[in-house]
Amino acid sequence: MIEGKLVNLRAGEMADLDRNFRWMNDREVTEHLAMRYPISLSAEEVWMREGTAKPMAFGSHVFFAIDTKDGVHIGNISFHAMSPEHRKARLGVVIGDKGYWAKGYGTDAMLTFLRFAFDEMNFHRIDLTVDADNPRAIACYRKCGFVEEARMRQTLFMRGAYKDQFVMGVLRDEFYSLHGATQAREEVAR
Amino acid sequence: MIEGKLVNLRAREMTDVERMTRWINDREVTRFMGGAYPWSSEAEEAFVRTTASAPMTFGDLRFAIDTKDGVHIGGCGLHRASPENRDAELGIMIGEKAYWSKGYGSDAVATLVRFAFEEMNLNRVELHVYDFNERGQAAYRKCGFVEEGRMRQAHFSEGKYGDVVVMAVLRDEWVS
Repeated sequence: MIEGKLVNLRAGEMADLDRNFRWMNDREVTEHLAMRYPISLSAEEVWMREGTAKPMAFGSHVFFAIDTKDGVHIGNISFHAMSPEHRKARLGVVIGDKGYWAKGYGTDAMLTFLRFAFDEMNFHRIDLTVDADNPRAIACYRKCGFVEEARMRQTLFMRGAYKDQFVMGVLRDEFYSLHGATQAREEVAR
Repeated sequence: MIEGKLVNLRAREMTDVERMTRWINDREVTRFMGGAYPWSSEAEEAFVRTTASAPMTFGDLRFAIDTKDGVHIGGCGLHRASPENRDAELGIMIGEKAYWSKGYGSDAVATLVRFAFEEMNLNRVELHVYDFNERGQAAYRKCGFVEEGRMRQAHFSEGKYGDVVVMAVLRDEWVS
């Protein structure tokens, strides 16, 4: 388990299935996940079984459930397209429980996950794509250190119109200078 | 076959494997493409077989590039096409270095973009190009691609990090 200030990150479990199924069929949640089709419980189960059956590993599967400190499962956060040579990955995050939106849980999950990425996985860069019409998410990512690097015009068609997405990226040095580098243990002890 | 001005685009054949193996092991060619590892001819053959043994589909098109004289000089493709978003990613390689900087690559890209808009009914074609590949960027600009941004330090090769430039062309822009 990885501890943040408001949340803990733990491995996904099959016990999360019902919640994930509900979130992935909630249009308000999936609006900004570029998902448009409903997903069946059995399809969600197959997908989750693939992920939970093996230990997490660089390059194949790095997927955490986000729990509040009270143990309420409120979302998920994961890396995709991990490259060991370029030392980068693409981040995906969802707070599926809408009662926990806009209260700092998503930002804390992001900061906790990014520190894990840079301190433990030795990434050099993390990036993500975000809908240009999702200002709440963009503000959260900026707070974490991400900057807008590219505006991909008309890259998504949803709800009757083409819309733009930003590529946002954060480099390890930027994250450390913004949020502090983790000090080596001996230094802390001194 | 899709006809351009200088080149034709055709389906790949197993008879292309020998040349493709040579190109994919030529660092002067692959330094612009990512993938620093050598490929065996068996691995290349297996890779070509998966695409050459089935008809092309909307989601993944891979072409061989021939000159009008029938000389096979490279390959290009449209990948990850989305039927809903109507976009795709373009990739291209001119493996025969004697044909570099003579307009063949530009003509292949222009021909492929035309195909994307006129036959596949796409709305957007995107590509990623390394910052040091200025020849490539100039060719894409000529075909109507505009730079949408740079993914900073998203690429590591030859001992250092470099940027990846995101370029795209929209159908409306291409028409005008």
